[in-house]
Amino acid sequence: MADDNIIALTDVEKTFRDFWLRPTVKAVDGLSLTVRRGEVFGLLGPNGSGKSTTIKMILGLLAPTKGSVKLFGLSPRAIAARRKIGYLPELSYLHPFLTARETLGYYAGLCGLDRKTAKDRTAQLLKMVGLEDVAMRPVGGFSKGMARRVALAASLIGKPELLVLDEPTSGLDPVSTKEVKTLVKALKANGMTILTTSHLLADAEDICDRVMIVNHGKTVAEGNVGELGTSLEEFFLAKVGEANEFVLADFLS
Amino acid sequence: MNSFWRIFSLELIGFVRSKTLAMLTVVSIVWMFALPRLVHSDGTAEGLRELDVRYSLGGVLVLLVISLLASATGSLARERAEKRLQLTLVRPVRYAAIVLAKALAHVVVGAAVLAVAVVILACRVDCARPCAHVLKPLLPSPREEAKEMYGAFMADPETPPAVKRTKKAIVLRLLENKALDHYQTIPTNATLTWTFSDPALATAEGLSVRMRFSTAFNSREEVRGVFTIGDWTASVSNITQAILTVPLAREFRFGTGYKPMTPDSELAFHNQGRNPLMLRPRKDIDLLLPADSFAANLLRSYVLLVVTLALVVAFGLFLSASLGRPVALFVAIVTVLVGEMSPSVIEQYPDELETKLSDRIGLVLTRFAAEVTRPVTTLNPLERLSLDECVEPSTVLRAVAFDGLLLPVVLAVLAGFVLPRKQEDQ
Repeated sequence: MADDNIIALTDVEKTFRDFWLRPTVKAVDGLSLTVRRGEVFGLLGPNGSGKSTTIKMILGLLAPTKGSVKLFGLSPRAIAARRKIGYLPELSYLHPFLTARETLGYYAGLCGLDRKTAKDRTAQLLKMVGLEDVAMRPVGGFSKGMARRVALAASLIGKPELLVLDEPTSGLDPVSTKEVKTLVKALKANGMTILTTSHLLADAEDICDRVMIVNHGKTVAEGNVGELGTSLEEFFLAKVGEANEFVLADFLS
Repeated sequence: MNSFWRIFSLELIGFVRSKTLAMLTVVSIVWMFALPRLVHSDGTAEGLRELDVRYSLGGVLVLLVISLLASATGSLARERAEKRLQLTLVRPVRYAAIVLAKALAHVVVGAAVLAVAVVILACRVDCARPCAHVLKPLLPSPREEAKEMYGAFMADPETPPAVKRTKKAIVLRLLENKALDHYQTIPTNATLTWTFSDPALATAEGLSVRMRFSTAFNSREEVRGVFTIGDWTASVSNITQAILTVPLAREFRFGTGYKPMTPDSELAFHNQGRNPLMLRPRKDIDLLLPADSFAANLLRSYVLLVVTLALVVAFGLFLSASLGRPVALFVAIVTVLVGEMSPSVIEQYPDELETKLSDRIGLVLTRFAAEVTRPVTTLNPLERLSLDECVEPSTVLRAVAFDGLLLPVVLAVLAGFVLPRKQEDQ
């Protein structure tokens, strides 16, 4: 069902250019993918494989060089599309002088929530991420894990239909990692569509329904997690000589 | 609108918590109090006013222009470099609203600091004294005068052939500059008249004439004569002052024995000096008509200064949306400097010297910078205020509508268009 496709990328290419418009790197090369309503979709690949570029095109932060990107059937830059998404970037990028409560209040305002709803939702999310006690402290003084939890709460403040998580467990300790995974599962149970990237296959296997593995901007494999076992192994074998972070990280995990 | 006010308040909180607002306020207060103690005026009332208005308040304006320009050019560019901007761009917010909210926060900060400086100035000067409307003689515009001169100038056998081959537009611009400085000579014991448009002049109370002697052509050995307009007269005798303001009176108090009758809207000057007098009517002769108080004009000047800040901030944010932070800051500072210097460069470097290609290119760029920055460079009302001239309400309204609202909104919309596209460079 086309209507069930929350995200639809068709033959998308992205070539970065230098100041003189000479092509420097082709980050995404003919990628097509669809994310259906209610599923947790994992975009996996080593560093520099084009995951973040793909995510930025989905979010409207980058325009594709070729191909089309549709979010809820709209341009990713359409306000109606942006109203339905929540985004957790790879690093938290919070305003250091705001407290955790103010940060959530700020993003609630950007999502168009009225003051009372914003207040209620902020309290609810602070409780959910376990930061009630430090809600009045500036986030500039937070540890990486705490900042990550604030950013996660901020991504959920507008009750998005689609949650885009870029390396959601990056920088988290094992306990927090487990909490994030539990949270993602809970959100999925509530019907939220989630697109997540990771280079940690163990994380992906725990939370994703379907995954796509990309390398050098191209699709290497795609399918549900159970089916991908063989493909992943083959991928590992093919890439083992490169000793990249993807292999090492997964090996260590 | 909710998101607009959120971004606005975030920016304000940033100014407060980074102590930028406090620092700007403290530096402004120190400047306002310290300058009159460090710099001494020439002792005249005009000198004191100039020190108070142009240098004290003007210094605060310069501080704010530089600070807010630096902050605005860094604002979006820094957030983009730190990747914080993407968290705002993915929210359902209009891109232009992001720019406008940031601009408004910058302007509010500038207006607050400027208000402190204006209050200090108001406490220091006599705010009840009246300012004056400045009326200029009715003359054809310099452009019209240049067109009239063109035919005769080109037909003149003494005009060099090289000039005759020059483009008409360049010659016209040259003649226009000459028209601005066009001198009229008043021989000894002769009378020259200038017409003014205001029909209320003849019945106005407190009318004055102001003469300027600002160039080497003006012999200040002896300027003596009588001004007359309708029933009003004044005698002039000057050998020292660069600007002379003479109140007109109904009774002829000086008894020089000369009092011609002139129409109500015509100002006559009868030269009683020993030498012919040369005057530039466009620059050297003004009629001053009493207006409202200095306080009211200070308030209107404040509005104009805030408008200037709004324009500067909008320009800075536009650059910030389009360029990286160092480049944006460099472009902004160069634009402001060139804009400030360009009028004098253009004036002192007439077209006839445009012989080298590099000179021509330089002049074209300078003229472009002058045009681009004209809204800011012509808004500054401090010179008028220091001369006790009225800052006309119509000027303020026009500036608020055009320079304070329309231009910043246009720049914000353009910046909003560029903002998500500039992300592609990352």
